[in-house]
Amino acid sequence: MKTYFVTFRSVTFAQRGESVLKKSGVNCVLQRTPRWMEAQGCGYCLRLSVKDAVQAVNVLRQKQVPMRKIYLQAEDGDIQEVQL
Amino acid sequence: MIYLDNGATSFHKPAAVKKAVMDAMDRCANPGRGGYAAAMEAARQVYRCRELAGELFDCRPEQVVLTSNCTHGLNIGIRTLVRPGSKVVISGFEHNAVTRPLHAMNANITVAGRRLFDPEDTLVAFEKALRGGADAAVFTHVSNVFGYILPVREISRLCRRYGVPFIIDAAQSAGSQSVKLDDLGADFIAMPGHKGLLGPQGTGLLLCGRGIEPLLYGGTGNQSIFQQMPEDLPERGEAGTMNVPGIAGLSAGVRYLLESGVETIGRKESEQAKRCAKGLEKLGFQVFSGRNQGGTVSFVPKVDCESAAEFLAKMGIAVRAGLHCAPLAHESAGTLETGTVRVSFGYDAACWQTDKFLAAAGKLQNKTEKNKISYCYPRGNPL
Repeated sequence: MKTYFVTFRSVTFAQRGESVLKKSGVNCVLQRTPRWMEAQGCGYCLRLSVKDAVQAVNVLRQKQVPMRKIYLQAEDGDIQEVQL
Repeated sequence: MIYLDNGATSFHKPAAVKKAVMDAMDRCANPGRGGYAAAMEAARQVYRCRELAGELFDCRPEQVVLTSNCTHGLNIGIRTLVRPGSKVVISGFEHNAVTRPLHAMNANITVAGRRLFDPEDTLVAFEKALRGGADAAVFTHVSNVFGYILPVREISRLCRRYGVPFIIDAAQSAGSQSVKLDDLGADFIAMPGHKGLLGPQGTGLLLCGRGIEPLLYGGTGNQSIFQQMPEDLPERGEAGTMNVPGIAGLSAGVRYLLESGVETIGRKESEQAKRCAKGLEKLGFQVFSGRNQGGTVSFVPKVDCESAAEFLAKMGIAVRAGLHCAPLAHESAGTLETGTVRVSFGYDAACWQTDKFLAAAGKLQNKTEKNKISYCYPRGNPL
């Protein structure tokens, strides 16, 4: 199953992202950023389904929650940075 | 005990505060340090506190730096704005939490406005000092000794007009006066969590209208690869493990205030302070009261203030005597030599507390009429 990940510069931005998405009725999961995704260490990200990703990113932009990067993980596990 | 030392800390906290602390100790590990349930729950508790504080003080969650007390927040703000030799304007009612860090920075301090309960004088003095050029201003919202509510909105406006960055010390106002970061346009507002916000000791908030210079350096749970502190708020101001049980308790306190209404609590406190001041005047004490007064009253007894407070303590009344860590305020009011006895009401302020206090104060007055002892404070000039 394809999955999107939105990374943030801080846990607080990730949490604000989670909060604004939930208030907007968009599903997401706050989790640790996988080490292989970003090497800065000790980060948090939001995991999003394909159907929610575009709406989620729009809400985050609209609410001015600073995002770092957006990644798409393919079914075979390959991951690439994407723009939404 | 009749607890009237809320200026030092609120004592009888709402039950929800204690429960939140205990729950957090059962359920929370280290926030921002792991992805397992107990670490994530801790992170949720911390963020919830930022959200609630943002709701109460009109700012975004990331503008809320969680500190260990008001002094901690003031030190961060001062370290950010002040350099050795900086010209800093302060009010005549500042606490040592403001004056000592400024002295340690070798700041060039101008004291503006020393007349109690006279907001016009305060404003004229601030305007004059700011017009003369300043690098920063630091002022208290409410005097911790006398309860004088300074005209912070107007002082803030003056600071903005003259382009002077400023810090508000909301130690005695958070939880009983309206404090809005966005509206005041402050660079920083510092406050304790354990006074009017009803949280546990060891908690505090620094509301940030701008970026900060860290006071402490260390782990923040993010961007660990770098040897510099992260640039972003709030993590830049939060090195080291946080006081999660305290923060959970603070959230419960802030939630209580949001439900009860800060203005309602402030009105209750102020009413009792007025009632108390009137009663003390009738008993013949020298009382400091006037317009623009919050929930705190100071008076000078006929014996030395520590003896008076000791007598009241034996009668089951908890008040604070002395200089209240604010020699500058006492100097402004002319009580540096005598000190005062301070009566400070809290969110549970009620007539019965005032009545019992006044009854005890009456006994103090009767007992000490013929038993004067010398004042305990040496003459000195703190600034």
